[in-house]
Amino acid sequence: MLMQLTVSGLAQGAIYALIALSLTVVFRATTVVNFGHGDFVLGGAFGVYVLVVMLGLPFLPSAIAAIILMFACGILISRGFIDPIKAGPHIGFAMMSISLGYIFRGTTRSIWGREVLPMPRVFDIPPVFIGDVVITGDAMIISGIVALLLVGFFIVFYKTSIGKVIQAVYQSERGATLIGINVRRFHDMMWGAGLAMGAVAGILIAPISLLHPDLGAGFLIRGFAAMTLGGFGSLGGAVAGGLILGVTEQYAGAYINTALIDITSYIVIILVLVVRPSGLFGKRAVVRV
Amino acid sequence: MTQETPKVKPSLMHNTRIFYLVPLVAAIIPFFANDYLQFMVNMIMVYVLVTVGFNLVIGNLGQLAFANTAFFGIGAYMTAILMNYAGFTFEIALVGAAISGGLAGLLASITALRGIRIYYLAIITLAFGELMRWVYIHAESVTRGTDGLPLPDVTVFGMSMHSETAKFYVFLVITVLVVKGTSNLLKSRVGRAILAIRDNELTTASLGISTANYIILTFVWSGSVVGVAGAMFAASTERVFPESFGLTEVIVHFAMVMVGGAGSLIGSVIGGVVLTALPEYFRQFPGMEELFFGVIIIAVLLFLPKGLVSLLAKVSPLFRERYYRE
Repeated sequence: MLMQLTVSGLAQGAIYALIALSLTVVFRATTVVNFGHGDFVLGGAFGVYVLVVMLGLPFLPSAIAAIILMFACGILISRGFIDPIKAGPHIGFAMMSISLGYIFRGTTRSIWGREVLPMPRVFDIPPVFIGDVVITGDAMIISGIVALLLVGFFIVFYKTSIGKVIQAVYQSERGATLIGINVRRFHDMMWGAGLAMGAVAGILIAPISLLHPDLGAGFLIRGFAAMTLGGFGSLGGAVAGGLILGVTEQYAGAYINTALIDITSYIVIILVLVVRPSGLFGKRAVVRV
Repeated sequence: MTQETPKVKPSLMHNTRIFYLVPLVAAIIPFFANDYLQFMVNMIMVYVLVTVGFNLVIGNLGQLAFANTAFFGIGAYMTAILMNYAGFTFEIALVGAAISGGLAGLLASITALRGIRIYYLAIITLAFGELMRWVYIHAESVTRGTDGLPLPDVTVFGMSMHSETAKFYVFLVITVLVVKGTSNLLKSRVGRAILAIRDNELTTASLGISTANYIILTFVWSGSVVGVAGAMFAASTERVFPESFGLTEVIVHFAMVMVGGAGSLIGSVIGGVVLTALPEYFRQFPGMEELFFGVIIIAVLLFLPKGLVSLLAKVSPLFRERYYRE
C-alpha cells in the first residue's frame, strides 16, 4: 500500500516538478512570477487536443507543434506585454501575467463551452508488476520523459555557456548588458522556454485526464506549492518539491481523507511560508531595501 | 500682531463637497428603476466597497495580496451563518461580518509582517482564498456545501429589507458611511503614513513611524470594508454559494481597482460603478467574462496605468488625490 502510493505519487509529482521548474526558469531569468502559468500549461494540453482530436493529426507531430506554438507565445508575451511595463511597479507584472492567463482560459472556455473533453489514450503500454506494486504504462512514460527533460535541462544549465548567461543575467542585468549579452532577447527566449516546458507538462497530462478550462488554476497552485516547498527560485528544489508534493498528496488522500488531495498544496504553501519561508533547500532570502 | 492671510474660497467646481451630491442624486434612483435595474445598482454599491477595500492594500499600501475574495466570502458567509444559526438581524450580522473580515485582514497582515512580501504574499493569500472556498464546500453541516446557504428574512432595525428598494437605501447609507470614513482615514496622518510605506518602507520607519502598526491597520480596515461588502452581497442575493468567491472573482476585483485607478479612492468608486454592470452582459457567453476582464486589465496596464481617474484629473482638479484636510 505504502509503496504503491509512493510510486503513483512520484508519477504525479513528476508533472508538478516540471510545472514548478518551468515557473522557476522564468522567475530566475526575468524575476517575474508568472501567475498565468497554469493556463499556459493547459494551453499546451488544449493545443494537442485540437491537433489530435479535431484535425486528426498523429500525436507526436501535434505535440511538437503545440510546444513550438507555446514557445512562440512566450516570446510574444515577453516582447509585447512584459517588456513595455518594465519601468512600472512589480505588481504590474503579476497582474499582466494573471490577465494573460485569463485570456487563455477565456479563449478555451468560449470555444469549448462548459464541456469536459476526454482525450484518446496515446501510450498503450501494459502495466508492470513489481511484487504487489503496479506501475502503469502512463506513469512510466511520464516519469521517463520528465526525467530525460530534467537531465537535459540541468546539463544545459550547469555545463554549457547558455547556463552561464542565465546565471549572469540573474545576478545583474546591467552587468550582463555590459559584457555584451542581449538581455531583452534573453528574456524572450526564457519566457519561450518556460512556456514550452509548461506545455510539455500539459501535453503529458492531456491523455490521462479529462480536460476543462478550470484545470489551469490547480496546476498553478501546485506549481507554486512545489516551488515554495523546494525553496523559491531553486531549480533542484523545484523538482524535489514537486516530487514530495505528489507523494504527500497521495498519502494525505489515502490515510486521512480523499478530499484533502485538493488542498494539500494550499496547506503546504501556507505552512512552508509561515514556518520556513526559504523552503527546504532554498537559501534564506535577503530582503532588498 | 499676526498677519491675516486672506481666505481663498474655492469655487464650487473645486470644492470636494460637491461629492456629497452623488448619494443625494443616487437616492432618487428607486423612483424610476425597475427591479432588475435596482438589483444592479445595489450590486454596484457592493462592488464599490469591494474595490475601496482592495485598493487600500493594492494601491495605497502597495502590497500584492489576493486575499480580497477571501475577505468577501468570509463577510458573506459570516452574515448568512449569524442570521441562520444565531438568529441575528442584518444590522448585527453586518457588524459580525466587519469583525470577521477585519480578523482575516489581521491574519494577512501578520504574514506580511513576518517578511512574506511581494510574490510570497500573493501566493500565500491566493492559497488562503482557495482554502476558504474549499472550507465553504466541505463544511456542509454549516454552509450546506455547493447548494448554498440561504438567508432568512433580512430585516434591519425591525423593518423588512426584502424589496430591492429597501435594500438600496440601507446599502446607500452603509456605502456613504464607509467611503466617507475611508476618505477621512486617507486624508489623515494615517493615510499619509500608508502612502509613505508604499513609497519607501525603510525611510518611513526611520522617520519614527511605526510601519508595522500602519500595515496591520490597513489590512484590518481593508478586510472590514470588504467584509461589509460581503454582508451586503449576501443580503442582496439572499443565498451564498461557494462559487461566488472563486478565482474569477479575483480578476474582477483587480480589474475594478486598475480601471478606476490604483491608489485613488474616487478611482475605486468609479471602477466599481463602471465594471459591475458590464460583465452581466457577458455572463451569457461562456468564457467571455474572463476574456473581457483579461483584455481590460492588460489595456489599462499598457495604456492607462493610473486608471480612468487620471483622465478625469486632467479635466478637473477635483479628481486629484488630496491627502490633507481642507
